[in-house]
Amino acid sequence: MIKKDAHLILEITDLHASVEDQPILQGVNLQIRAGEIHAVMGRNGSGKSTLSKIIAGHPAYTVTSGEVKFQGKDILNMEPEDRARAGVFLGFQYPVEIPGVSNLEFLRVATNSRRVEMDEEELDTFAFEDLVNEKLKLVQMDPIFLERSVNEGFSGGEKKRNEILQMALLQPIVSILDETDSGLDIDALRVIAAGVNQLNTPYSATLLITHYQRLLNEVIPDFVHVMSSGKILRTGGKELALELEEYGYDCVEKPSNNKEVN
Amino acid sequence: MADYRQWLNSLPEPNGVLKNLQTQGRASLANLGMPTNTLEEWRLTDLNCLQKILNLPLYKPNRDYLDEEKQKEWAQRPKNGFRLVIDSQTNPLEDINLPNGIRPLTSAEVEKLLVQRSNQYSSSRNWQVAINNATATNFLALKIEGQNLPPLELIMQSDSGAFIPTRIALIVEDKTKLNLLQVALGAANSAQSHLVEIYLGKGAELNHGLIAFGIEEANMIANLFVEQKTSSHYSFTSVQHGWSLSRLESLIVQTNGHANTTLKGLQVSSKKQQIATHSRVKFEGPQGCLEQLQKSAATDNSHCIFNGSIQVPQLAQKTNAAQLSRNLLMSNRARIDTKPELEIIADDVRCTHGATISQLQEEEVFYMRSRGITTEQATSLLLKGYCKEILDNLPVESHRWEILDKLLKSVKR
Amino acid sequence: MESQTAVGKVVSQAYKYGFVTDIETEKIPKGINEETIHLISAKKEEPEFLLNFRLKAFNQWKKMQEPNWANLGYPEINYQDIIYYAAPTEKNKKSSLEEVDPKLLETFDKLGIPLSEQKRLSNVAVDAVFDSVSIATTYKEKLAEHGVIFCSISEAIKEYPDLVEKYIGSVVPVSDNFFAALNSAVFSDGSFVFIPKGINCPMDLSSYFRINSGDIGQFERTLIIAEEASSVSYLEGCTAPMFDTNTLHAAVVELVALDEASIKYSTVQNWYSGNEQGIGGIYNFVTKRGQCRGKKSKISWSQVETGSAITWKYPSCILQGEESIGEFYSVALTNNRQKADTGTKMIHVGANTRSTIVSKGISAGHSSNSYRGLVQMGPKAYGARNFSQCDSMLIGDQAAANTYPYIRSQQPQAKIEHEASTCRISEDQLFYLQSRGIGFEEAVSMMVSGFCRDVFNQLPMEFAAEADKLMALKLEGSVG
Repeated sequence: MIKKDAHLILEITDLHASVEDQPILQGVNLQIRAGEIHAVMGRNGSGKSTLSKIIAGHPAYTVTSGEVKFQGKDILNMEPEDRARAGVFLGFQYPVEIPGVSNLEFLRVATNSRRVEMDEEELDTFAFEDLVNEKLKLVQMDPIFLERSVNEGFSGGEKKRNEILQMALLQPIVSILDETDSGLDIDALRVIAAGVNQLNTPYSATLLITHYQRLLNEVIPDFVHVMSSGKILRTGGKELALELEEYGYDCVEKPSNNKEVN
Repeated sequence: MADYRQWLNSLPEPNGVLKNLQTQGRASLANLGMPTNTLEEWRLTDLNCLQKILNLPLYKPNRDYLDEEKQKEWAQRPKNGFRLVIDSQTNPLEDINLPNGIRPLTSAEVEKLLVQRSNQYSSSRNWQVAINNATATNFLALKIEGQNLPPLELIMQSDSGAFIPTRIALIVEDKTKLNLLQVALGAANSAQSHLVEIYLGKGAELNHGLIAFGIEEANMIANLFVEQKTSSHYSFTSVQHGWSLSRLESLIVQTNGHANTTLKGLQVSSKKQQIATHSRVKFEGPQGCLEQLQKSAATDNSHCIFNGSIQVPQLAQKTNAAQLSRNLLMSNRARIDTKPELEIIADDVRCTHGATISQLQEEEVFYMRSRGITTEQATSLLLKGYCKEILDNLPVESHRWEILDKLLKSVKR
Repeated sequence: MESQTAVGKVVSQAYKYGFVTDIETEKIPKGINEETIHLISAKKEEPEFLLNFRLKAFNQWKKMQEPNWANLGYPEINYQDIIYYAAPTEKNKKSSLEEVDPKLLETFDKLGIPLSEQKRLSNVAVDAVFDSVSIATTYKEKLAEHGVIFCSISEAIKEYPDLVEKYIGSVVPVSDNFFAALNSAVFSDGSFVFIPKGINCPMDLSSYFRINSGDIGQFERTLIIAEEASSVSYLEGCTAPMFDTNTLHAAVVELVALDEASIKYSTVQNWYSGNEQGIGGIYNFVTKRGQCRGKKSKISWSQVETGSAITWKYPSCILQGEESIGEFYSVALTNNRQKADTGTKMIHVGANTRSTIVSKGISAGHSSNSYRGLVQMGPKAYGARNFSQCDSMLIGDQAAANTYPYIRSQQPQAKIEHEASTCRISEDQLFYLQSRGIGFEEAVSMMVSGFCRDVFNQLPMEFAAEADKLMALKLEGSVG
C-alpha cells in the first residue's frame, strides 16, 4: 500500500560494505515507507542477502561508507539485539539450528525483550504459551515444534514457519525476509505468504529478498528493485518482476537497458 | 618414586574375595611405576594430582562420613527405584532386599568371573586398573535379569581425607532391560577409584548414566569395561564436573559385532581443574554400530582432554561408527586437547570422526541477538543448550538430581 | 591375492626406475664417528662454521634415542653399516654441463629429467642430485638475472656462507629429532634457493634426488629462503634403484618465508618401496618444516607419497607472522607391505593465522597408512582458524588405515575443525561406471583419482599429470 506521505521507516543511502576485504555492496540506495512492501531481486551473489544481514547487524560484514536509518535514526552502530528490540526483523535464509536450546524458551526470551522495549508487560511462562499457541495458528505449525531445540531437525518448510512465527511474536516495524520462499513447496509457500500478508500493517513495512517471482504472486509488492554487483540497477512496480521472469536478469543488467534509479 | 614404593608397602595385607587381584595389582603397580608424561596415554595428565591421590590414607570401614549434611546433596530415593551406596569395605547389600530379577553372584560365580576377567581386562598394562585392583577389597557383583526392573541407582560418596576404591560387576542377562545411574560425589581432599565391569547378554538393553561431580581437591579415576553380545544396546552418558582431577577410561567391546553402542559425554571444567575422558571402542565382529558425542567446556585455568579411539579389525566388516568431539574453549587461560583416533583394517565400513574447538558459534549467537536477546543471555542459553544435549540422554531418573541444575547455572563464559 | 571380493585383487607394476647406473663412485668407509664428519667436511672444502654445526649435531645425535613411537616395527638400523658419503668420481671440477659424465646425463634422461641444453624442460630449472652430490643445476644464469640463487647447497656454503650460516638450522634445530640431528651431522648435498625481496621467481625450481648406490644413506639438505614479498614454486622428485637391502634416506628441508612471501613446495616421492614381500626399499625418515616468519606470508606443502618401504614425514608450518597461512595437501598411497606414517603440524603462533589440511590416504595390499597430525593454537593465536579433512580409502581387507589427529587449543578466539572419514570403492559406483562402458581398471583408477582430486588440484601442472599416472601405475592390478 503506497501512501506518499507515510513516514519513512527505512532509509539506506549510498551503502558500501565488504566481507573479509571483499567489497560486496557498492552504493545501495533504498527508501521504505510505512505500509509498503518492497522486493529486492537479483542473481546469486548480487549482494541482496548481504544487504539484509547488514540491516540486521551481522558482525561478519563491514560497512565502509553510507548510512542505514531506521525511523530517522542511524542504526549502523547499534548492536544486533538492540536493532531487533527496536523493531527490525530478519527472516533468515538458513535459520540456524541450535541443539539443546528449547525453541519455546528461546521464543519467550526474545518476545519478552521486544515487549520491554515496547513498554509492554513481560509474559510469564503460562501467558506466553497462550500467546504462542495463538500465533502458531497463523503459520499452521504443530505445537510439538515448541518442545524441540531451536530449528534442530526441522524440515526446510518448518524452519521457515518458525521464522514467521518469530515475526508474529516480535511484531517488528520492518521485516526483511531473506529468500523465505526457497526450498518450499507450493502449499508451504502459501501458508508463509498468508502469514506475511496478515502481519503487514499500515504502520510497518516488509522487504522481501528473493530471486523468484513465485513468492511475489502471493505477496504483492508495491516496489520491485533489481540488484546486481552490489547496486540497485532498476526500480519498478510489480510488473518488473514479471518482466524479469520472462526475459531474465540480462535485460536489466545490460547497460543499454539501465534506467537511473531515483 | 620412593614415595610410590612406600605407598605400595603401606597397603594392608591382601585379603577378602579380591585377594588374588590385590596381589596381582600390586605387582603390576611395582612393575609399571608411576605414570609419566612420556607415555602416550598419560601425556597430558596432571601427575601432581595423581600423586596426591596416593598421599591419602586408604579408607577405613565405617559409614560415619555419610552424615545428613552429605546426604542432603542426594536426590530423593527414586519412587520405584532402587538405591545402593557403594564404598570400599562395607557391604552395600546389608539390610537390603533386592528386587526380583536382581541377585548377588554366588561365590562360585564370583570366582569364575574373576578368573575369566583378569586376563581380558588386565592390570598389567593399565595403571588405573592396577590401582583399583591393588586397593579394592569389596566387590559388588550382581546378576540382573528381566524386562520390568526398577531403575538401579549406585551412589559413590567420597570421604574427606581418604581414598576410596570401589569395584562393581554387573551381569546383564539376555534380553534384560535396565536403567542404571551411577553417581560419584567428591568431598574435599578426597580420592576415588572406580572400576565397573558390565556384561551385556544378547538383546540386552542398558541405559547407563554416570554423574560425577567433584569439588576442590577431590580426585577421581574411573574405569569402565563393557562387553556387548550381539543385538545388545548399550548407551552410556557421562557428566564430569568440578574435580581437581577426573580421569575416566572406558573400553567397550562388541564381542561379535551386531550391537549398538551410544556414548555421550560432557565434561565441564573451571578453576584449575583437569577433566579427561579416554574412550576406546573395539568391534570384534561385523555390523556393529557406534554413535559417540563427547563435549567439553573449559573456563578459567582449566584443562579438558578427550582421547577417543575406534578400532575396526578385519573381521568387523560393515561397521558403522561415528564419533564427534565438540569443544568449547571459553577462557584464554584454559586449554583443550582432543585426539579422535580411527584404526581400521576392514574395508567395507563407514567410519567418521570430527573434532572442533572454538568459542560459541558466532552464527548461533547472532541468530539470537537478531531476535533481541543480549549477548550474555544468548551465551547463557547456548551453554545450557550445549550441556542439555548430553544431559537429556541420561536415564530419566537422573533428573531428580538437582546438582545437574547447579551445573547448568554454573556454566558461564 | 588374498581378497576374494571384486574390489581388492592385485597391486603394482614393476618399478620402472629400478635400474642401477654403472659408474665409478668414490665412497668413504662405512660408519660414523667424529672423523667421518671431519672427512665429509674436508671433502666438501667447507668453512669452519659448518664443520662446527656438524660436530654439534653429531654430539647431540649420540645422546639421542631412535624414536619408536609410531610403532612401525622395522629391523634395527645399524648406523655403523652405512656409507655416509658417495659421489661419482670426477677428475676435475666440472665447469659446465658438457663436462658432466655422459653416463650421469643419460641416467637423468632415463628418469625423464633431461639436463642437457637442447632437451631440458623449458619452464623448470632443475638441480639434479646423484647419491651424495649435486651434479648439475640448469638455468642458473637466467635465474641470476633476477637475483634468484638456485644451486646445490655445497656450492651455496662456499659462495654464500653468510646466508647459509644465518638460516641453516634456524627452522629445524640440530637437536630437533634423531634423524634431523643425524642429517645435520652428515648431510652431503641438496638444494639452496634464495629469492630476493619483491621477486616472483620466473620459473618453477626443481630438485631431483636419485639414490644409486645400495649401501649409502642419502642425507640431503634443502634450504629455501623467500625474502619480503617474493614467491617461488619448488618441486622435488625422488627415485632409487631396486636393492633387497633397506636404504636410509633422512633429509631435512627448511623453508623461511618473510613478510608477504610465498613458498609452494611440491613433492612426488617414488623411492623404491620394496617388493611384494616387503623385502628392500627405502626408509624415508624426513624432517620438513617451514616457518612463516613474516606477516601475511604463506607456505604450502603438497605431496604425493607413493614410494618407500617406510615413510615418516610430517611437513609442518610454524605460523608465526600475523595473518600467515599454512597449507598441507597430501596423497599417500601404500601397497604391499609399505608403511606410511605421514601428516603435518600446524603450529599457530601469530594472530589471525590460517591453516588448511587435506590428506588422502589410500591403503592396498598388506600396507598400513596412517595420518598423524598436530594442530595447535597458541595463547596468542587470536582469530586463528584451521580446517582439516583426512580421508582414507581402503582397497582389500588386509590393509590398515589409521587417523591420529592431535588437536590443541589455548585461544578461545581460535577455531579448529577436523573431519575424517573412511570409505572404499563401492560396487555400486563401479557398476555405474562399467555400465557406461568404462573398463574395470579404468573405473577404479577414475575413482581413486577422483578421491585425490582436491590434492592433485594443488600440484603444479606438470606434476599433477605425473601424479595421476603414477597412481594408476601403482594400483594397476591391485583391484579386480
